[in-house]
Amino acid sequence: MKTLSGFLRRVPVSVLIALAFFVVCALFVPRFAGSGNLGNVARIAAILAIVSCGQAIVLILGGIEFSFGSSVALASVVTVMLLPATGPLPAFLAGVAVVVLVGVLNGALVAGVGLPAVVVTLGTLMIAHGFAASLAGGLPIDAAPSPLFRWPAVGEVLGIPVAVLIAAVALFCLWVLLAHMELGRRFYLVGANASAARLSGIGVRGTVFTGYVLAGLFAGVASVILTSRVGSGQPNLIPDLPFQTIAACAIGGIPLTGGRGSVIQVIAGVAIIAMLNNAVVLLNYPVAVQQLLIALVIVVSVVAQRFAAGIAFDVRILLKGSAR
Amino acid sequence: MSALFRRLLGARALVALVFLVCVWAVFGFVNARFLTLGNAASIALQMSVLVLLSTGQMFALTVRGFDISVGAVAALSSGVAALAWNAVGPAGLLAGLLTGLAAGTINGFLVARVEVQPIVTTLGMLIGARGLSLLISNSGQVIPLADSRSLLQLAYGNWLGLAPLAWFALAGVAFAACLLRFTLLGRRILMFGSNPDAARLVGMNAVRVHMAAYQLTGVFASLAGLAMLTRAGSGLPTDGTGMELQSIASAVIGGTALTGGVASPFGTLVGAAFIQSLGSGLNMSGISPFTAEIAIGAVIIAASSVGVAPQLVTRLRKWARRKGN
Repeated sequence: MKTLSGFLRRVPVSVLIALAFFVVCALFVPRFAGSGNLGNVARIAAILAIVSCGQAIVLILGGIEFSFGSSVALASVVTVMLLPATGPLPAFLAGVAVVVLVGVLNGALVAGVGLPAVVVTLGTLMIAHGFAASLAGGLPIDAAPSPLFRWPAVGEVLGIPVAVLIAAVALFCLWVLLAHMELGRRFYLVGANASAARLSGIGVRGTVFTGYVLAGLFAGVASVILTSRVGSGQPNLIPDLPFQTIAACAIGGIPLTGGRGSVIQVIAGVAIIAMLNNAVVLLNYPVAVQQLLIALVIVVSVVAQRFAAGIAFDVRILLKGSAR
Repeated sequence: MSALFRRLLGARALVALVFLVCVWAVFGFVNARFLTLGNAASIALQMSVLVLLSTGQMFALTVRGFDISVGAVAALSSGVAALAWNAVGPAGLLAGLLTGLAAGTINGFLVARVEVQPIVTTLGMLIGARGLSLLISNSGQVIPLADSRSLLQLAYGNWLGLAPLAWFALAGVAFAACLLRFTLLGRRILMFGSNPDAARLVGMNAVRVHMAAYQLTGVFASLAGLAMLTRAGSGLPTDGTGMELQSIASAVIGGTALTGGVASPFGTLVGAAFIQSLGSGLNMSGISPFTAEIAIGAVIIAASSVGVAPQLVTRLRKWARRKGN
């Protein structure tokens, strides 16, 4: 009984929701639980997972990040334009650098100048889209296919897709950062109470700046896989990426007020969205239904977490009482 | 000196006005056709959608929230109104208004009563409204009006120098200003925004007031949707992306504080005029819309820094003093 109550206390509610959702899908959606389909789910979830790592850092800091939506698109355009001249590897690195640069700009404006994160990142979203569209002339530009260029999207190592491996590494890095590094602990303190953090001697501005740059780095890594997958530079590559990542973090239970959040919550949120999207496709519902369901799941899971905190507490009291 | 500086910045609507005059001066210098009454009337018509959206956004900002669903709700309202217009005639426009009211009520209920964070709530509404728009419009096709002549007359006619639609948007701003200045609800919204705890302690129904602010945001978003319908003569269920940012930007430029409790309807109007003038000025100068996008994004960020200018000056002065010693 004691282990059960400890389990209930430690595991976030969203993980239980994700597990329940998995069981429901496996029971009621045809072809869902096959290994081929689950591999597909993982491959599609990979990009969302990597970018959500970056979003999670920013949310823990009490900020929010919208500029992913076009910084990733700008990276794809830059990568494809450099491709003929430099070959895949430097081109990919340049793409990553572009996204990191947007992160640096966000960090400088939010932490250095002290502007509100919403306005800054929505502004850089516009600016990056303007650059991407100007460079590409408004139309997608195709990349010459080459094995190395396609590798991040279609390659496999030991039978596991590269994208999924990279996502796993990204999640592991985020876990190490948040749970085992001083910088990660500073993120929590700054997000929970910036004044207290300053008074205890933490360089708040530097910490926030680093957070936005790291978020850019995660998104930059995702942009490599994304560019390789679509095989072209597109100014309108994935405009709803910021919304998806905020949704994933919110569904996972990371509060947008800052100071809290963990890797397991990111994983749960991403898993719920990925399974939902996949189930809707397997059931042959239109895209409209998929969007309505995601909207519903966001609200329901956030509301459920509010009440579940209270319910879990009641259950613990109940279990303790019966153990005595 | 510092006090004077702060007082001046306190009148943020004035700062926005200075921005606006600067934009007009620059583009008037570059292009003689920019500073004509005809162009002013055309800007007034073009900005009517943004003015209504920003005025709505102002209410959400005033109660310390956000509404990133305004663009999607406006688009959905225009689609619903177009369908209803085709079914029952002009009275169908009411259906568009009800759509906005419903969206605002749901947002308000979740934010005020269930206490879900505004961004999560309105993100859900944004995705949900887009989904509904796709559902009612056969996967995102425009919904043409059966008889749009009377409606188009409102957008392209001329009453006292301006299009009726532009007057309508101005009336919306005036309504919001009167509501905030002269009605109990308006005063309560402002009080709740400046200090929610105090508002609760003096015994007003804080949840109801908080919710009403989001309902107003929703209604204004649907008014913007009707303005879109009037201008295009057909429902545009997938339009309105990116309008969330511009609505937040014009409210903030006009002096509505993101920290709540301060609302400036006329400042918001000036902020929207500023963004629209910048856009059409760049357009008339033959600059590509993509480059214009970069410029507008940069200007929005720069304009929002006016709010933190006093802190920035203090910090710079501290830094200079430390260097001096």
